[in-house]
Amino acid sequence: MMMTGKRVFVSGVGGELGTTIAGLLEQESWVGELSGIDADPPRHRLHRTVFHRIHPDEHDRIVDTVCRFNPHVLVHVGVWEPDARAAPSAAATLTDQAATSILGAAAECSALEHVVVRSGIEIYGRGRGALTRPSESAPIAPTSDWGRTVAAIEHTAAKVGERVGVTVGAVRLAPVLGPHVPSPLGRLLRQPGVPFSVLADPPFAVIEDRDAARAIVAAARIGLAEPVNVVAAGAITALQAARRGRRIPIPLVGPDWRIARALSFLLGAPIPDHVSETLHRGRLADNGRMRELLGIVPEHGTVDVIDRLYHWPSIIHQPARVQVA
Amino acid sequence: MTSTHGTVGRVVNFPVRDTATRAGAAVSRAAADVGASVTRFTDEQAGVVDDWGRDPGLVRIVIGASRLRWDVTVGGDQRLPKRKGALIVVNARALALAPIFSALALSEAVDRPVRFVGRPDTAPVGAFVRRIGGLLDHPDEVAGALAAGELVIMGATHDERLRKVGRVDHALVGGALAAGVQVFPAATLSSPIGRAARLEIGTASRSPRRRRGPLSELELADQVGRDIEMLLAELGDIRTGTPLDWFPLTGIGGA
Repeated sequence: MMMTGKRVFVSGVGGELGTTIAGLLEQESWVGELSGIDADPPRHRLHRTVFHRIHPDEHDRIVDTVCRFNPHVLVHVGVWEPDARAAPSAAATLTDQAATSILGAAAECSALEHVVVRSGIEIYGRGRGALTRPSESAPIAPTSDWGRTVAAIEHTAAKVGERVGVTVGAVRLAPVLGPHVPSPLGRLLRQPGVPFSVLADPPFAVIEDRDAARAIVAAARIGLAEPVNVVAAGAITALQAARRGRRIPIPLVGPDWRIARALSFLLGAPIPDHVSETLHRGRLADNGRMRELLGIVPEHGTVDVIDRLYHWPSIIHQPARVQVA
Repeated sequence: MTSTHGTVGRVVNFPVRDTATRAGAAVSRAAADVGASVTRFTDEQAGVVDDWGRDPGLVRIVIGASRLRWDVTVGGDQRLPKRKGALIVVNARALALAPIFSALALSEAVDRPVRFVGRPDTAPVGAFVRRIGGLLDHPDEVAGALAAGELVIMGATHDERLRKVGRVDHALVGGALAAGVQVFPAATLSSPIGRAARLEIGTASRSPRRRRGPLSELELADQVGRDIEMLLAELGDIRTGTPLDWFPLTGIGGA
């Protein structure tokens, strides 16, 4: 059991996941002071969290802010999934800058006891012969940009932990979906027509944003010192998802995908390589140790999350209360 | 099809980690048992796939279609655990698809999803085989399924001699040991020209000696092979009711 009054620092607190995590941490009895950092302000009202709006390339300000706060626990969710909020190259740069600055700054803090990093099941890769449901002990062999990015974050965090002598836990999340989560997979599935691989149509699993946030908070609370897969139960294929959402399934083979990717990009739902890999090779992971390590299980299964994805409202147009023009 | 995967023994751990791993695995299994709710084959929802990509709706269609080819009689299924996972090793003749028809027939008999080892990882065949319950021929894949409480069927390699069983992949058997589940020998009989087929599951095989290292999986794999040969001997010859039965080497039989 953790002692009370811990100082917790959340990087990436401006994102939907980071804001939800901060909101849940505010309700934790062991958390004393809470501070967060991001390039964008939080999505919800946070009552106890002190927010610092700093861009990831402002290295000195980040180091100064983190060192002054001197956290006991660092929750690093300041990562940019390709084509979620930034183009793949920009996302990789921002993620790398944030990871280097924040984890590096945390290493200088004398009070630091524990680090939790947000990772992804893309870290296992989907090369030929890759396990259908890799467990945490499966080899790390990323085959997409996003997979390599999360592998680099885990590597950096592990090095910091080793050097400073603190525990490091990695929460390997399935693709995160939620009403306000910018997700390339979610965006693609909500298009009027959903492409699927007619030869493979492999299964994939997802996790809802609140379940992902609960897992990260649990990892911070218990001081998780190893990786854990956080994946909702069950699986679904792109064709099945399209049918459940009453979308038009578009069967594609080989070169058709080039055209589909270009069209989808123009329609505002770009398909980054890790999503393309999901649609061609599937994306599952063994979540058997989640209950044992974190003491929680996801509230929503994969099929449930996909069903909810199609029930979330799209754009709600609010008419102006006073017509000014 | 089996392979050694370049592993000497899947049960070997360094001593320091060994205790922690075993304790962790025990806790994990205990936690899984507490919340265990066995998926019923008849209750599985169509239109979605399960955790391993198996499509229950497609499996039902394939079972219906497989009846045109095989009329399988299943025996000894009461020996299988009701909730926990188990590895079932069957003898397999070339092109007989013994693990597949055994998995389909056993699914109906025990009303649980049954998976089989031997899925290729190339589309579209691999994708189809995954949909009907195929797993990769990899010890970690098998161990993961068994630890999750699944029934998994694997085939021994083919042996040209009648009533003889080929090599049982010890690495896959090691996966069962790592997952802490029992290994059952099972004899299959089928005919290339008839529909009659049989799957007889024996009592769980036990290693002749307690070993601390990789010998346990090697010896257990050998024992499973011997147990299957015993079951085949007990089953006797299959009869087609045709003059083919008069010939000594008709290719009819399980081994």
